[in-house]
Amino acid sequence: MSATSPDPEARTTETAQATEPDAAPGRAPAGAASAWLWTAIGLAVVLGLASTTRFLESWVPSTAEGTALGGFAEAVEYPVYAILLGLTGNLVLSLTGLRDRLAPAFKTEFFIKTGLVLLGSTVLFDVIIRAAGPAVLQALFLVTGVFLFAWWIGGLLGLDDRLRALLASAVSICGVSAAIAAAGAAQAKKEQLAYVASLVILFAVPSIFLLPWLVELMGLDNAQAGAWIGGNIDTTAAVAASGAIVGEEALQIASIVKATQNVLMGVVAVALTAYFAFKVAPAEGRSSAGRPGLRTLWDRFPKFVLGFLVASIVATLWANSGPADAEAGLDTASALRDWFLIAAFTSIGLEFKLGSLREAGWRPIGLFAAATVFNLLLGLALAVVLFRGFVF
Amino acid sequence: MTETPSTPEARPKRRISEDWAATLTGLFLLALCLIGVIPEGLIP
Repeated sequence: MSATSPDPEARTTETAQATEPDAAPGRAPAGAASAWLWTAIGLAVVLGLASTTRFLESWVPSTAEGTALGGFAEAVEYPVYAILLGLTGNLVLSLTGLRDRLAPAFKTEFFIKTGLVLLGSTVLFDVIIRAAGPAVLQALFLVTGVFLFAWWIGGLLGLDDRLRALLASAVSICGVSAAIAAAGAAQAKKEQLAYVASLVILFAVPSIFLLPWLVELMGLDNAQAGAWIGGNIDTTAAVAASGAIVGEEALQIASIVKATQNVLMGVVAVALTAYFAFKVAPAEGRSSAGRPGLRTLWDRFPKFVLGFLVASIVATLWANSGPADAEAGLDTASALRDWFLIAAFTSIGLEFKLGSLREAGWRPIGLFAAATVFNLLLGLALAVVLFRGFVF
Repeated sequence: MTETPSTPEARPKRRISEDWAATLTGLFLLALCLIGVIPEGLIP
C-alpha cells in the first residue's frame, strides 16, 4: 500500500506535487486534461466496486443458502463487502502503480457527506428532535472527557503540545476533519497531521467490524448501539459503515450523534486557537496565529449537518402533505443514499494508508489506544443511560 | 517545534467548499427525486 497520508486533502496536495512536471509552462492544459482523465477513471473504479458490492450483497446470501455458511452470509451487510473490495482495489492499484494517479477520485468525505444529507430524507424530523437532547448531552460529556483524558495522557508521555492537540481532537471529535481543524488552530506541522490521520484510519477500520460484534455480545438495543458507535468511531464514514452493519435504526442514531459531535468541532477549534494564540505562542516568543472569533466558529461548522436537517424537514413535510405517490420519490432518494454510502465505504478501503505511522514511534499510538479505550467505556455508559428506552 | 507554514492553514477553505458541495449535491439530488426527474426504479 502507499506510504502516504490517508487524508484526502493531503493526498490532493501530494498528487499535485506528483504531477508537478505537467504543470510546467506550456504543458498545463495537457496536464489538466490528463488529471481529469485519471480522475474519471478513478470514479469508474469507485462505481465499479460499488456495483460489485450491490451484486455481492444479494448474490452471496442466495448462493450460500442451505449451506453451513448460509447464516453467516445472510448476516454480512453491504459495508463489509464495500470496505473489503476497497482494500483489495487499494492493493491492486498500489501494486500496479496506479493508485496515486486515481486517488483524487476517492473522495470519502464528499461521498459520505452527500450520503448523509440524503440520509436526512429517511429520518423523520421528530426522531431528530427527540434524539437531539441525549445526543447533545452525550457529545458534550464525551468530547470534553475524552479530549481532556487524551491531553493528560499526552502530557504524561511527554508529547509536543501541537501533536497532543491533534491527537486529542481526532480521538474525541471526528477524526481527520477534527485533526485538520486542530492543525490549523495549533499551527501544527504537515507531517504531524499526516501521522494523526493515519492513526485515525488505523483505529477506525477495525472498529467498523468490532463495535457491531460487541453490540450483539452486550445486547444493546438499536438506539444505544447507534449512540455508542456514533460517539466512538472517529471518522464519519466509518460510523455510517458500522451503524449500517447493525441496522437502519442504529445507522440513523449513529449519524445524528456523529453530526452533533461534528458541530462541536468549531467550539474546540476556537478553544485551541485561543490556547495556542495566547499561551503557547507568546511562551515560544513568536507571534500568534490570530485571535479566534465567530468567523472561526462558522468556518469550522460542518455545513452538511444543515443539509441533513433540511433534508429531514423537507422529507417529513413531503411525506405528510406531498402528492399521493410521495413515498416513491423518498424511496428513490433512499436508494441514491445507499449508493453514496457504498461509494464512501469503498473509498475508505481505497484510501487506507499506513506509511507515515512508521516514523512516529509508539507514544502517539499509546495515547490513541488509551484514549480509544476510555472513549469506548465512557461512551458506552453515556449511550446506555441517555438512550435507554428510546422509541423510533 | 518548527513553525512550518501549515498546509493545514490553507485547508479549511477547501474543506468548507467540499462541505458545501456535498450539502448542495445532496439537496439537489433529493429535489430531483421528489419531483420525479429521477424516476422510481432508475436507481437499482
